[in-house]
Amino acid sequence: MTKINKSAEDLLIIANQELSFQKEENEKLVAKLGFANKELAFQKEEKGKRAAELGIANIELAFQDDEKGKRAAELGIANKELAFQDQEKGKRAAELGVANKELAFQDEEKEKRATELGIANKELIFQGEEKEKRAAELGIANKELIFQGEEKEKRAAELSIANKELVFQNEEKEKRAAELIIANKELAFQNDEKEKRAAELIIANKELAFQNHEKEIRAAEKEKRAAELIIANKELAFQNEEKEKRAAELIIANKELAFQNEEKEKRAAELIIANKELAFQNEEKEKRAAELIIANKELLAFTYISSHDLQEPLRKIQTFVTIILENENKNLSEKGKYNFQRMQLAAGRMQQLIDDLLSFSRINTTDHKFEKTDLNVIIEEVKTELKDTIQEKHATIEVAELCTANTIIFQFRQLMYNLISNALKFSKPEVPSHIIIKSRIVKGSLLNNEKLSPDKSYCHITVEDNGIGFEPHFSERIFEVFQKLHGKDVYAGTGIGLAIVKKIVENHNGIITATSELNKGATFDIYIPAN
Amino acid sequence: MNLKELNILLADDDQDDCIFFEEALGELELLTHLTAVHDGEQLMQLLTNETTIISHVLFLDLNMPRKNGFECLSEIKQNTKLKDLPVVIFSTSFEQEVVNTLYKNGAQYFIRKPSEFSQFKKIIFHTLMLIMEENAPKPTQENFVITVQNSSVI
Repeated sequence: MTKINKSAEDLLIIANQELSFQKEENEKLVAKLGFANKELAFQKEEKGKRAAELGIANIELAFQDDEKGKRAAELGIANKELAFQDQEKGKRAAELGVANKELAFQDEEKEKRATELGIANKELIFQGEEKEKRAAELGIANKELIFQGEEKEKRAAELSIANKELVFQNEEKEKRAAELIIANKELAFQNDEKEKRAAELIIANKELAFQNHEKEIRAAEKEKRAAELIIANKELAFQNEEKEKRAAELIIANKELAFQNEEKEKRAAELIIANKELAFQNEEKEKRAAELIIANKELLAFTYISSHDLQEPLRKIQTFVTIILENENKNLSEKGKYNFQRMQLAAGRMQQLIDDLLSFSRINTTDHKFEKTDLNVIIEEVKTELKDTIQEKHATIEVAELCTANTIIFQFRQLMYNLISNALKFSKPEVPSHIIIKSRIVKGSLLNNEKLSPDKSYCHITVEDNGIGFEPHFSERIFEVFQKLHGKDVYAGTGIGLAIVKKIVENHNGIITATSELNKGATFDIYIPAN
Repeated sequence: MNLKELNILLADDDQDDCIFFEEALGELELLTHLTAVHDGEQLMQLLTNETTIISHVLFLDLNMPRKNGFECLSEIKQNTKLKDLPVVIFSTSFEQEVVNTLYKNGAQYFIRKPSEFSQFKKIIFHTLMLIMEENAPKPTQENFVITVQNSSVI
């Protein structure tokens, strides 16, 4: 046993030792496991935490996914919206293109209309000027009428003043008549008083006569007084008579005044009738003025027709005649040529007639604008215009230093042109023409002409020539339209030139006279108001 | 004197006057080409048409149907392409105020249609000579009206 036990014991010890060692190892392992467990627990906790965090993160992600899904859906919708808007914009752009073309077309149309309006405006301006001219003429006619109206009103005012004067005189006379009646009554009253006193004196006389008997001593004295009283009585009676006479005279004077009053009332009534007559005449004149304005317009229309429509065919006749005479000359007989030449002459005269008539009517219608004019300048212009004729007639024109005057320049130039060309035309064939032109300013009172106002100053222009002159009794007639003193074969002309001259002078509120004797030259005197 | 052909444009509604003009031109020793229109509308259409050959001078009557000479003159002078075209007014009547207005509106010359054919030729010739002068300045108002008297100098 012992050996076995020993070995068993040894074995046990070894096993024990082994076991304790294993136990120690186990304990160590346990300890290690404890650590490892703690570690694991910790790790588990960590994992739990991370798992929780992941869970949250997952939830977060899930939420974000949702959000993204929603946004993606929204973007899808927005994209569709944008696509639709793009389409709409495309359509609108196309529409704008069309609208732009439309606008461009309208702009062109507007420009066209603007040019048309420009032309229409000019036309209107031209018509406006024409109308202003006519309005100015009417204005002058109106002013004339207004002036006549004013003159009539002045006369009416004078008449009403004269009426008032008469009424005042009437009143004065009635006052005096009333005063005379009062004076008469006064005189009658004084007469009564005096008669009363006379009666009293008679009583007193009787009293005294009675007292005479008693008082004979004083009788002589009292008789004296009585005589004196009688004389005084007679005196009073005489004064009474005188006053009655005066009263009668006053009554006559009163009647006279009453008669004069009646006369004045009659005259006042007559003046009122005359006033009414004047008012009626005024109305009539206004009517006639309106009629004249209408007639003037008609004349203007006639002028236009003659200026355009009459000239045209006449000129054609003339041109065709010249073409025939030029091109068909050899085909015409002498007689034929002569007849064509006569035709030409007649057409030429007609042309001159139309031209002259036109300038005559133009003088009546164009507006009258007065300007300060140097007459020397006008004469120079006319001389230049007539240069050829002056040379041909070997004429000398002598111009003394001329004054300035207020004139309608183009009319005055025509006036001087007509006078000077007339003087040249009617020169004596064998004598060089000599024309003298002078001017001076002179007071109307020195001119001895009833048509000129004596207190105005006049510009007196003289055109004198040494031509063939005319018989004195023609001195008025030469200024009438179409009046000629010579056949048209001797001196060409239409008989309008001097009518124009007279018209122009009248437009300047002046007068013109002609003085001549046959073969002794002629003198034309023009008087127009200076300034 | 210029040797190139002169393109002349005539606007006149009067057939006789057109014939006179053509005959007068035919008798002048000038190389010319005449185009005639008979109212203002025709004239303006022709002038504003791009394909029309350029005229060197326009003879313009005043009294025309549809559009008168005054209107045509204004339109021409307001058109930048046409304003340098010399316009010669060619009229039967003569009224100083009308003439003054035409000068102001830019016409180059004024001719009163003469009544004698020889004068007709003379005045057209004289006017064409004036127009053909290179760089001729616009005439002064005194030289605006061409008459037979001042034509006979040439």
